[in-house]
Amino acid sequence: MSMMAVAEETEMEPVVEKKSPGKALWLLAPGVIWMSLFLVLPMLMMVYVSFWTQTTFTIEPTLTLKSWITFFTSDTYLGALWTTVRIWLIVLVATVLVGYPAALFVGLFVKNKALQTVLLVLCVIPFWTSFLIRVLAWRPMLGKEGAINMILMNLGITDAPIEVLLFSELSVIIGMTQIYCVFMVGPIAFMLGRIDTSIIEAAQDLGAGFWRIFRTIILPLSMPGVVVGAIFVSVMVLGEFATSAALSGRKVNLLGNIIVTQVGSLKWAFAAVAGVVLTILMGAVVAALLRVVDLRKEL
Amino acid sequence: MSTVLQLKSITKTYGDMRALSGIDLALPGDAYISLLGPSGSGKTTLLRVIAGFEQPDGGAILFDGKRIDTVAPHKRGIGFVFQNFALFPHLSVAQNIAYGLENRDVDPVTDRRVVDARVRDIISLVGLSGLEGRAVTQISGGQRQRVALARTLVTEPRMVLLDEPLGALDANLRARMRAELRAIRERCGVTFLHVTGSEAEALAMGDTVLVLESGRIAQSADSDTVYNRPASPAVARFLNCYNLFQGRIEAGAFVGGAGRFALGASAPTRAATPAYAIRYDRVSVRPRDAAIGEDEIRIEANFVASEYSGAAVNSFFALDDGRVFEVESHLSHAAPETYAEQGRYALVWKREDALVYA
Repeated sequence: MSMMAVAEETEMEPVVEKKSPGKALWLLAPGVIWMSLFLVLPMLMMVYVSFWTQTTFTIEPTLTLKSWITFFTSDTYLGALWTTVRIWLIVLVATVLVGYPAALFVGLFVKNKALQTVLLVLCVIPFWTSFLIRVLAWRPMLGKEGAINMILMNLGITDAPIEVLLFSELSVIIGMTQIYCVFMVGPIAFMLGRIDTSIIEAAQDLGAGFWRIFRTIILPLSMPGVVVGAIFVSVMVLGEFATSAALSGRKVNLLGNIIVTQVGSLKWAFAAVAGVVLTILMGAVVAALLRVVDLRKEL
Repeated sequence: MSTVLQLKSITKTYGDMRALSGIDLALPGDAYISLLGPSGSGKTTLLRVIAGFEQPDGGAILFDGKRIDTVAPHKRGIGFVFQNFALFPHLSVAQNIAYGLENRDVDPVTDRRVVDARVRDIISLVGLSGLEGRAVTQISGGQRQRVALARTLVTEPRMVLLDEPLGALDANLRARMRAELRAIRERCGVTFLHVTGSEAEALAMGDTVLVLESGRIAQSADSDTVYNRPASPAVARFLNCYNLFQGRIEAGAFVGGAGRFALGASAPTRAATPAYAIRYDRVSVRPRDAAIGEDEIRIEANFVASEYSGAAVNSFFALDDGRVFEVESHLSHAAPETYAEQGRYALVWKREDALVYA
């Protein structure tokens, strides 16, 4: 009886082994179909449309480089590209500077796991209000007669209102940093929370002071969190158009704003060119960030 | 031998729990000291207090004659080897070992060549040659243990605290590392304080064995004394080689649940609660009708099971009150006897072999 069972099992085994990879591949099918229909195909379409011929009111499928040449010779478009890159870099640095200490506190100095979760949820609270209300709430705060200027003037720190606070690049940066900071805090706090406290104690025991330990142990071990956070923030900031439209009074034009305007005036080919440029920029940024840390090794 | 570390009535409380209730201790230089205690006895707390990761609630710690209980851990100069090794996962073996030399606040070594030379020396001392460039995630448990030890030793501490250093290793490796730890310590000439929950490990390794019991030092003596003359019933229980009886002393005899045992000539050891202890290997098993000598004590019990461990066999008997009585017979003297299941036997020992606490 038992001999037969053994024989059966050994015969069954190769069959099972052959079948399993094929079966497992079916699990990918829904994702692959969905993504090719609604992501890959539209993107290829966008690349294709960017070479179409654009006239004032119509667009024809005659291939031409005209839209591309216009984009790269126009000061407006190149300026928007440069503004996008500049604001992205500033917001990225600002979110790290504001987010890292917060994450350090939550992930490393708060020992209670429940309290850790509560504090992380606190970071998400800004998202409980709608985007529009949140952005509009900045106006009475930053405006010429807004709260910050009133306080500064009443305290006698400034004589005249600081006009650069609202409808400027600064207000866009302030608003974006506030909104996207949480995407930086989360991944960093997660990585810091995973550092074994005995590792830090070991470094202490070997004679290192706090800043030494921070530079040689804590920072390197939390880098994957910084990179993941940076990818989140970068992808969102590079694609932004709403915050800049609402807080800059249309003075700051990002690539996203260009695309919205072009689509609004039916300039599909231009919009497609800007879209392709933006996508390539995002791809390059993500690829560069992934080179900083080998995420496969760390996570 | 001079005293390296002295603790004076150290106390530590967590909430309502007293982890350490008045530890007094003086550790000599250049010695291997093992600290034995059941889990929850406060041994890890004691180690963490000495290293400075925890602040004691009261008492004083003197290291080399200077008070250190207010000094930050990174300025104490006491090495700590963690149970889980706590190696820096992003650094290689050599970088882990060099960490303390390069990064310490007090007197860091900046000369690359000096660092390299000292790392090389310590690597050969602990037997890690050839693995310098490996990531610490790519080496075995025993090798990680050596890295942890080398990382501490290279900073030349006057004293090294080891928190269950062999706990994470498999049995084979543990036996090998015991001898090696002792050899490495002798070559360095520093004091090792080795915390363990295993009585065999504590007895095998320590020049001095400290037994910690509910936040107090219950005994501090050499292995032989601890094993043969445990200072209290609690120490005897924890050594895991004594049958213990509760009861009281009455007219030259110990009266307990298992009967009346006549006392030998030696005076009882002082203890908080009276107890009677007889070592597993001092008891012999005989048929019920066998005669006993005048100086012998005899009880009856039913055989339950036995456990064969190569050099010895441990037999378990159930006393009439249901408690288990263990007998260890060494097989170098005789072939293992087979006892009948549930059979009733006489368990006999000499009066003088028993330890009496009163």
